[in-house]
Amino acid sequence: MKKVLALFAASFAFTSGLQAAEINVLVQANYVNADQQASWYAGDTGILAYSHSGANIQQAVLDVSDSFSSGLSYEVVANYYPLGEQNIGLSQALLSYKPLSQDTVRWRARAGLFYPAMSLENTAQGWLSPYSYTQSAINSWLGEELRIAGLEMTLFSPGRVRNSAFSWELHGGLFKGNDPMGAMLTWRGFAMHDRQSLYNEQIPMAAYPSVTGAYRLNHPAYVEPFHEFDGRLGFYVGAHLEYYKQSSVRYYYYDNQADPNQLNAQRIYGWRTRFHSLAMQHQFSANTRAVAQWMSGDTVMGKRYVAADFDAWYILLSHTLGPHRLSARFDKFEVTEDDVFPWDWNDSHGEALTLAWRYDFNAQWQFGLEQHFNRNYAASRLSLKQDPQIEQQQSMAVLQYRWSY
Amino acid sequence: MQKFFLLFFLTQLNSLVSAAELHIELHTQDNQAMPNAVIYLTPTKALSPSTPHSVAIMDQIDRQFSPHILVVQKDSQIRFPNSDSIKHHVYSFSPAKTFELQLYRGLDANPLLFSKTGIVELGCNIHDWMLGYVLVVDTPYFAKTNRQGQTQFDLVEGEYRLNIWHPRIKANSKNLEQIIVVNGDTSLHFQLDQALLPDVNQYEAVPADVNDYE
Repeated sequence: MKKVLALFAASFAFTSGLQAAEINVLVQANYVNADQQASWYAGDTGILAYSHSGANIQQAVLDVSDSFSSGLSYEVVANYYPLGEQNIGLSQALLSYKPLSQDTVRWRARAGLFYPAMSLENTAQGWLSPYSYTQSAINSWLGEELRIAGLEMTLFSPGRVRNSAFSWELHGGLFKGNDPMGAMLTWRGFAMHDRQSLYNEQIPMAAYPSVTGAYRLNHPAYVEPFHEFDGRLGFYVGAHLEYYKQSSVRYYYYDNQADPNQLNAQRIYGWRTRFHSLAMQHQFSANTRAVAQWMSGDTVMGKRYVAADFDAWYILLSHTLGPHRLSARFDKFEVTEDDVFPWDWNDSHGEALTLAWRYDFNAQWQFGLEQHFNRNYAASRLSLKQDPQIEQQQSMAVLQYRWSY
Repeated sequence: MQKFFLLFFLTQLNSLVSAAELHIELHTQDNQAMPNAVIYLTPTKALSPSTPHSVAIMDQIDRQFSPHILVVQKDSQIRFPNSDSIKHHVYSFSPAKTFELQLYRGLDANPLLFSKTGIVELGCNIHDWMLGYVLVVDTPYFAKTNRQGQTQFDLVEGEYRLNIWHPRIKANSKNLEQIIVVNGDTSLHFQLDQALLPDVNQYEAVPADVNDYE
């Protein structure tokens, strides 16, 4: 009887704890008119995620969070994606601590699984974009291959407490894992989608003969970007500067410090990946804003078996008109190989235009249309006897439902 | 009974005779109208104690405190509703009232009692740009200046201590506290002797499409 009472008390405590928690659910159902070039999810070389026209669940996000008067809070983001190898999992799970302070320079910290705040595009709940469905090349890649399993410390100074128009933040993070980051980017090239990788997920790719061949790199036709191989800590540093809530600049430097000579039993290698990211946002008026981001970095695997430099940028303009939001984004991206094997062709580049209209019926329902065009080149297609230069188009209609408790 | 009526009549007459309108105009050092400044008048002779009954409201709307400055009489209760669809974490370190409130969306916190005079500076631990003020005064005579820097009071004639307050007025400016005598309708004009602190009011204009995760 005592046990039953204890169980009852515990379950009551749990449910009353959850009662204070915020629960947000977001579901996007779409109809896609897909490009004829199939994607890496179908083992092919297109850079758009959908391989077939039809109806899909595009996003299904469950976000549970709560905060306590001590300044401690948690957030767990679980996702369901019909697309991909793993359909259900976590994309973020973190504890945050932000003590109450009246100092002009304050601190806060995050620990767990999360994204560094380097994107000014992925600002909606669940690291989604409020602008388009198909995200920029830069942030499609970050959502795919980057995740911090570690700790971030932040020093920040809100301008308002200093009677100043400028606020700043300094971030430093240490993490484990993320050693194979860079493999998808190098072999497939930049892609454009909103399919975030779930923790410990496997991402498929085309079976490029130079990658999978037994007498070549002998690597599987997939990547698992979140492994830890060498015990080394990766790090990143970041700085934000903000003028009121009108303009902001964010600079980050990321280095996973992976040992490129480490590999596991699956023959997945460590990739030493480093990059700079500079993101900017400016609000021209209460309704019109520009967002831009530039990234430049390099990655190396093995004894320069595979090595490449990468550069990408986008500029996005967005305008709201009552319940309407209109956005247009231009992307340019490039991966340039610089390695020892002449038979592994990794040069790729491209540009893309994405136009989106999203309409809020009310706080729960939103409808949107998106048209995407890209022109891209991937030398690795030659190894599959495909034309390396392709043009892709994708149209999408998306119905979104949000529910909060 | 007659005596009572006479007394009643005299009291009414007395109050009719001694009521006066006080107009106040406030200008900055560079002769601009000073809006939204708090003016409060405390009678130098003790007032019969009055306890405020209504509950004042300090709302959170579009990630801002509304109003930016709330003036209440000592011993007032203030309710902190949350009109946003997101959570706020309101706090104050001010000696006049130290507190913190987790404002879950859709939940109404109980009103708080403000029983000490002084300035209470409000912040939100989630939205660092949010800033609001509660000024607790020991008098029922308080007002904020309009866009023209003007305000007016209906008062009983007599002597008052007049105070002027605004977060942008430097605390060491002259004439922020002075004794005035109200004798018949009176107009007073004040000019600040020092420049205002920097204007960071643009923090009040957070664009409608700024996302909570930015």
